[in-house]
Amino acid sequence: MWYYIKWTIWLLLIAMIGTFLHYTLPRNDVVRITDTYEKRVDFGDNSIFWANSNTGESTEVTGRDVFFIQAFRPNGNPIIYRNEDTGWGWPPYFKFNTSNLQAHATDLQSSEDAPRWVAVKKYGWRMQYLSIYPNAISVKLVDGPDTRVIPWISISILVVLGCIWLAIWSRWRKFRAKRIDPLLDGE
Amino acid sequence: MFALARLVLILFVVLTIVYVSLSLYSRAVRRDKLEAEWDEEGQSGDREAFVRDGLEDYDQSLRRKLILGVYVVPILLIGTIIYFTNYN
Repeated sequence: MWYYIKWTIWLLLIAMIGTFLHYTLPRNDVVRITDTYEKRVDFGDNSIFWANSNTGESTEVTGRDVFFIQAFRPNGNPIIYRNEDTGWGWPPYFKFNTSNLQAHATDLQSSEDAPRWVAVKKYGWRMQYLSIYPNAISVKLVDGPDTRVIPWISISILVVLGCIWLAIWSRWRKFRAKRIDPLLDGE
Repeated sequence: MFALARLVLILFVVLTIVYVSLSLYSRAVRRDKLEAEWDEEGQSGDREAFVRDGLEDYDQSLRRKLILGVYVVPILLIGTIIYFTNYN
């Protein structure tokens, strides 16, 4: 019984950390940008999935205009990105150049007949049921739809996190073996 | 500016916790090492004084000052991220 409870808690914890990292870490899409626009968004239950960056503008409002980038994947499926400042807040991308990025994205628009493929670095999820969009961090022209962008930043962050985890874990085990287990055995 | 102030405050609190924990841990490790060294070499005299001298040397060492990197590294990291996100 205790065994199952223990493993359920561990699995839940790992799933939560994994979900959090999957949402937060940067990933790359190779897409074709077809349009850029801005749309008023009134935040509701999904407000946690929108940046509330406070880069000089009011944060008291419940709705504002948000930049969007509309694109197609090589397989023909549409994907829409939002383009918002993250400012000094979470996640720590320190993105302040939303308007510049929108200008670049608009510049890279192309049609199906003469496609220009663009690597969009983004974090977040597209989820239609909650009306949430990944946040675009940068756009870069690439050679073709098959270009593979290696996510070095995510790899480095995961390696560093793994090292920190190992360092703490090994010390905790040593501490437990030396200080806690003898106490429990004595009972 | 409120957002920046909040970030600085949170960073300061978190990094101070890390700094204090690391300092205490590092000093404890050094103490263990000094005690082990004393026991191994079977020296005679005051064990306490030997450990205290060793820890005083440690307090002045570069190794201890390197722990200040806990504050320096994140600040450099933030600067780097800001540069690469916005100006590159």
